[in-house]
Amino acid sequence: MDWNLVAKIAGGGFGLTILVLVILSLVAWVVGLVIQKTRSERKEDSSKGNK
Amino acid sequence: MFGLYESAFGALSWQHGLMFVIGGLLIYLGIAKKMEPVLLVPIGIGIFMVNLPLGGLMIYTPDGFPAEVGTVGELIKSIGEGKIGLLNVLYTYGIKSGIIPLLIFLGVGAMTDFTPTIARPISFLFGAVAQVGVFIVFLIAILSGMFTLNEAACVGIIGGSDGPPTVYLTAALAPQLLGPITLVAYAYMSLVPIIQPPIIKLLTTKKERAIYMKPQVRQVSKLEVILFPIIIFIVAALLVPKSVPLIGMFMFGNLLRASGVTDRLAQSAGGVFIDVLTFLLGITVGALMPAMVFLKPQTLAIIGLAIVAFACSTAGGLLAAKFANLFLKEKINPMIGAAGVSAIPMSARVVQKMGQEANPRNFLLMHAMGPNMAGAIATSVVAGIFLGMLM
Repeated sequence: MDWNLVAKIAGGGFGLTILVLVILSLVAWVVGLVIQKTRSERKEDSSKGNK
Repeated sequence: MFGLYESAFGALSWQHGLMFVIGGLLIYLGIAKKMEPVLLVPIGIGIFMVNLPLGGLMIYTPDGFPAEVGTVGELIKSIGEGKIGLLNVLYTYGIKSGIIPLLIFLGVGAMTDFTPTIARPISFLFGAVAQVGVFIVFLIAILSGMFTLNEAACVGIIGGSDGPPTVYLTAALAPQLLGPITLVAYAYMSLVPIIQPPIIKLLTTKKERAIYMKPQVRQVSKLEVILFPIIIFIVAALLVPKSVPLIGMFMFGNLLRASGVTDRLAQSAGGVFIDVLTFLLGITVGALMPAMVFLKPQTLAIIGLAIVAFACSTAGGLLAAKFANLFLKEKINPMIGAAGVSAIPMSARVVQKMGQEANPRNFLLMHAMGPNMAGAIATSVVAGIFLGMLM
């Protein structure tokens, strides 16, 4: 058994999983933030327009 | 004499008898105890079908592998000549090819609401850490000396508690273990309400279990719900290309639902479509368990290792949520991390039930669904990583 490969798959695999999910989490957070900000700005603009 | 020449009694052995008991037990658990009946009943019937001697529904080679199905043109001839059975065809074109698990995942996506995950993106981290059981068991399986690298990866992924990625990965890396691994994965998923509570209680105080969480994190817009599957798919596909079949199908199914303009397709994918595929998966997986393949020390090892994987994954997700609480202003109930093991929606229900026991004001179901959905994505990513490293 190639224990170096085993360690790479177990340690590297878990590390990579965490990294990928952290990136996905950041992407989801940023997209949510941008959409929320755009919506609130639009709301503000429309409420100013009404005034 | 009296036609007895064609009876199967002479070919019966105690191993067949034992498999009938196992098949009967699965049918009993499915019908009487309502444990994953959609899968356990067809698996039980499949076990009967393949263990009744001379039946010919699934033909095996002397090495214990399903007989190879030739070209489509040769199918009818091969079945007629008894070289292959109907279930050999279903196995080759449905499971070994990966088509059935992938299409089931499409249906699962069509039934999934990602709103809780979108509202609290930290859920992804709980889903990620909850994969720790997969890698711990991968190591234990290798150390046991009973499994090859490919087989150990497939045993480990049971800890992800997600059926389609488990079946897809095993069909690709260790098809010889597809029967026991699929059976154990689905059986344990139905046992989540029994497996998880003791681990959660062991790792949390009553005060932690009683932490109150507001019913809603934030309002999620329709645009976010539509963009989520598209963006997650593209990013995951770029980072882990081998996860594309799984995440692609999962997210495509979800987009059918989220778009709001393909309701009929979403309902079909999450309704009759997934039912038929699940039934075909169940009966074919059952047929992968003839006595000569199933009754091996490896099967017992898989049963034991799978529970370790489930326990470690539950503990991993829960400890990740406890760790997050060190930095969060508004504390979360650490039990929602335990739902990161996927097993949709059973583990989220376990958290909801335990949360209400500790604090009747708590309604944790939607909070737990976030890590639950993230766990499904994480398991697909892990399957993609294993495929990338081992194929």
